[in-house]
Amino acid sequence: MKRLLLFVFFLSIVLAANAQKFMTKNGFISFYSHTPMEDIKGDNNQVVGVLDISTGEMVFQALIKSFHFDRALMEEHFNENYMESDKIPKSVFKGKITNMASVDFTKNGTYNVTVDGDLTIHDVTNKISTKGTIEVVSGGINANSKFNIVPEDYKIVIPGVVRDKFDKSLEVTIAMKYTPIANK
Amino acid sequence: MKNWIKVALFAVVFIAVAAVWFGLHEFNLKHPDTAKAKPDFVVTATTLQKEFEDNESAASSKYINKIIEVKGTIATVTPADSSHINVSLKTGSDISSVICTFTTSGDHSMFRTGEEVTLRGECSGFLMDVLLNNCAPIMNQK
Repeated sequence: MKRLLLFVFFLSIVLAANAQKFMTKNGFISFYSHTPMEDIKGDNNQVVGVLDISTGEMVFQALIKSFHFDRALMEEHFNENYMESDKIPKSVFKGKITNMASVDFTKNGTYNVTVDGDLTIHDVTNKISTKGTIEVVSGGINANSKFNIVPEDYKIVIPGVVRDKFDKSLEVTIAMKYTPIANK
Repeated sequence: MKNWIKVALFAVVFIAVAAVWFGLHEFNLKHPDTAKAKPDFVVTATTLQKEFEDNESAASSKYINKIIEVKGTIATVTPADSSHINVSLKTGSDISSVICTFTTSGDHSMFRTGEEVTLRGECSGFLMDVLLNNCAPIMNQK
């Protein structure tokens, strides 16, 4: 009996160690700016994200071509003129939750977090620190955040005539619904 | 002299109308209709995924922004958000597939796991899977 209990205990440790990574292939990232004529809004529902709950590490990868705009002309300018997506197809964030002690991944609930990391857009990397929430739910983890970025910080050049029409910074919204990566 | 002025005026008006027409046309540009567009490449899902896996940067240069007609067997059909669905096609890899995103308007009755389909879409690139957007099913080439 004791041996069986020991085996079950050991097995649960091994299983728990493998159950630390969570993933999504349909993460949501959008950016937004209001303009007098029409709002600029690009939505991406194909973001790949991995979250390691043992270390708090978070990685997102987004394809620039997966950002969709209502207006096709805006999408074309975004890809061809500003982001040069045929040369630089991806944007990446590599970061870490800095207040892991405040999050209990074993208990359902919403926790406020700070995430620090490197954001690479248009081949330019900047350190960012953002606030967000981690929501532990049955079967998964949801991560949400809103922060601002300034296109010029990433060497994204938008001609004055267009640039003057919207705000200095764009509001970025992140919404990830992670599920555990199955053991292979 | 008078004739010359007439011709010049006509040319100015013509150029102005053409400019306005062009401006409106660009402004009202629609997303390409992939069902009607001629594909830049016709491949199988297995071949497409393998090209990205073997040399991502070469495959990216070759395929991103191009219209690709891809043939394969449906692995999964999942909703992406309130207005899109994702159809993934089987490839030679266990973990990496070709994912085609469709808007929910339109006929999706042929999208069942195990079905052989031919789909056309714009290639966005490669993350864990090859991603095609603005997809349309191609009916008569099964």
